Amino acid sequence: MADKTKAGMVFPPYTFEVEKGKIAEFAMAVSQKESKGQVKQIYADSGKAKEAGYTDIVPTSTFQTCFLLWGGGGLMPMLQDVGIDLVRLLHGEEEYEYLLPIHPGDVMTGVTKVVEMYDKEKKGKPGKFMEFTVLEAEIRNQRGELAIRARTTLVER
Amino acid sequence: MTKTLTYESISVGDAMPTFISDPITRTHLVRYAGASGDFNPLHHDETFVKLFGMPRVISHGMFVMGIVGQAITDWIDDKNLRKFGVRFSGMTEPMDMDDQNSKERATIVVTGTVVEKYEIDGEKVMRCEINAADKQGSVKLTGSFVAALS
Repeated sequence: MADKTKAGMVFPPYTFEVEKGKIAEFAMAVSQKESKGQVKQIYADSGKAKEAGYTDIVPTSTFQTCFLLWGGGGLMPMLQDVGIDLVRLLHGEEEYEYLLPIHPGDVMTGVTKVVEMYDKEKKGKPGKFMEFTVLEAEIRNQRGELAIRARTTLVER
Repeated sequence: MTKTLTYESISVGDAMPTFISDPITRTHLVRYAGASGDFNPLHHDETFVKLFGMPRVISHGMFVMGIVGQAITDWIDDKNLRKFGVRFSGMTEPMDMDDQNSKERATIVVTGTVVEKYEIDGEKVMRCEINAADKQGSVKLTGSFVAALS
């Protein structure tokens, strides 16, 4: 059961250096491709990205999920800190706001905060509750500019 | 390749081109685990999930969101994506190599519809609602995205 006193808690920042190879690897994974040559080239080739009007290679739209998973201590210790029961855990919602582009060489720092914790009665099951924990992360580049805002809703059913 | 979409050429009610994924295999899940860093054994270790009475591993929800992201940026330019959010509603099991009939439950079909066009902070944008379901019609996630239009 999530510990409601943790609402407002801020986790220690995590840092992730964006590398070309990781961007291409992630693009291959979500495109279900076997090689770099098969993905959209703005994810893999600087020259092609520039031809397409980008400053450099860019990551795919959900790439930032690996900042926390590879750059931080991972999600599990955070969930344990908040007292979330992993056996009952479901990923409810995920939302991103894209404010600035990300390119290879950028060093991204994420700060995640517990913004909301609440219970909701289960449909057709009076007295039974699902517990919601909402996390918001601000991800900034090495210049301190906000690049991505992420919102994650976790549900204990 | 994506082509430039303009505010004038897009109307509320327009459909996003339907996107159909390859049937998700355990190899895709392993590749996604490595790329993302999400090594929850739920997504690759059959002996682990059997402890919970599950017949097979399930996909990362974020992998399905990633596939939906690819569907979106097949249509709009990556640099025009402003917001992308989903609500997960169903799990996805990978296909079994020894059962061709299992392909349908592992194939993700992404559809979308333009629901709004507006200007914000001097930029013309559209909002589209999206839906991802398998080929049997079981919904995996619903959501929306906002994209800039020229």
